[in-house]
Amino acid sequence: MKKANVLKLGVAAVAALFVAGQPAVAHKEPHDAATLKAFEEAFMEQVIIGDNLFHGDPDAEKKMNVSLSKTGMACAMCHPFASDVHPHEFPKFQEQMSAFATLRDMINWCIEKPNEGVKIDSDSPAMKALEAYIYWSNKGSQLDPGRH
Amino acid sequence: MGKEKEESPQGASVSLTRRTFLNKSLAAGAGVAGAGALNFFDTFTTIGVAHAQQSFSFAWVSDTHLYPKTLNTRFVDKATRAFKEVAAMGQKLDFMIFGGDLAQLGDPVELQLGNDLLKEIKIKKHFIPGEHDWYLDMGALWNKLFGASPWRFDHKGVRFIGLDTVGNAPDYWSAKKMSPKDRMGAMSALDGSLAGPWAGIGHKQLQWLQTAVSDWSKANPLIVFTHTPLWECYAPWNFWTRDWREAQEILQPFKNVTNIHGHVHQPLYNEMGNMRFIGQLATSWPWPYAPTGVPPLTKAMIRVDPGDPFDGVGWGQIGWTGNRVDHQYKMWRKQVYATAEVDSGTGDNRNQVLQPRIADRGWPY
Repeated sequence: MKKANVLKLGVAAVAALFVAGQPAVAHKEPHDAATLKAFEEAFMEQVIIGDNLFHGDPDAEKKMNVSLSKTGMACAMCHPFASDVHPHEFPKFQEQMSAFATLRDMINWCIEKPNEGVKIDSDSPAMKALEAYIYWSNKGSQLDPGRH
Repeated sequence: MGKEKEESPQGASVSLTRRTFLNKSLAAGAGVAGAGALNFFDTFTTIGVAHAQQSFSFAWVSDTHLYPKTLNTRFVDKATRAFKEVAAMGQKLDFMIFGGDLAQLGDPVELQLGNDLLKEIKIKKHFIPGEHDWYLDMGALWNKLFGASPWRFDHKGVRFIGLDTVGNAPDYWSAKKMSPKDRMGAMSALDGSLAGPWAGIGHKQLQWLQTAVSDWSKANPLIVFTHTPLWECYAPWNFWTRDWREAQEILQPFKNVTNIHGHVHQPLYNEMGNMRFIGQLATSWPWPYAPTGVPPLTKAMIRVDPGDPFDGVGWGQIGWTGNRVDHQYKMWRKQVYATAEVDSGTGDNRNQVLQPRIADRGWPY
């Protein structure tokens, strides 16, 4: 789904949730198929951006204004199919950092250390897209937070 | 097709055993001559070959994935280290195999850089290509610099065969009107889907293989070098050769066949009938183990430190000593194999479920 359509749908949904002076709420009405499809498409759009960033696509990096690697290495070179990232084990004590860490902390560690790239803001669109791709790739993995 | 080198006399009976152990003498610092100061901790996969006529040893180096020095010297440094270590062993090695993926993107600068670095090694060198060497110019520069595959030669009672398992991909580029650079780029992602099941021997080369072994005694040892494994470990990453069944059918009558391969960047071991398969390290970086398909006979390598570029990589030495063959991973760390699940490259994945990437999905043929 195009961004404009997602935006329209989002605006309509938000508008529907506001009743004069009341806080925004969700789930007042059952979701129809079109709404669910729009939600999924909004998610998959980010997954695809994250996939391209994860695989070192220069156009994606340019578009997101990030520099994830200066060595020619891409995330996927050590993590094909986003394997061995183990997003389901975060947060945890991360040995390389000697600190309690989230997945986003670990993504930035990989960008800075092995890839020698430029760390990204932990709430940036690029980080959210990378996170979306990694979680999507590992869909079905069993949650095991804290596991080393 | 191919080239034939020397012939050798035939051997007699063959007996096989296999065991894997840590070499305590090297751990204690005895070291291999010329490499004692390099902190090797060797592991041996031992295969007894009863009739081997003379002792000898050779080295395997592969998967250097060189970038131009202007972009990244990390992989150059590691390839250089491996080549220096091989060179330091001098005449203790009869020859060296380079098992493919010298370059990262098939760039002439990368291939020429590799050619220059390899000049450090004065012993005889044999080459088979990797997919990263091939798909920019379809192997033209590779063949010019290092010679064409397949080939065979006999050495001290063993027949050695080198196959090209990378140059026979189905045409994934014409329908999409890919430039040579795009064709190479699609091939260079291990988990990409655009290049499809590219690893293969092809009908013509299979016919060559049939002929290449037709005059060899079924009791004598054969060693077959390939970039990709001659069995199916995990097809989505081309940890296989798509016509491995046809190759095994040709090799199956022989009582002692060893396939030594690269591409997987990790210790990997399997046996099927009279064939055994030994996966080699990369000098560049280690791959994680595939989510499925790792055989029970494989002892998983230990989890390595992603912050240390020299961890989890190295080269291999294969030695005939009397009637025994020792395969050694020359990994640049103290411990190669995990001894507990928490440290294991496969045990670590017990809760992991994966799905293929999405951004490049689609089959062009």
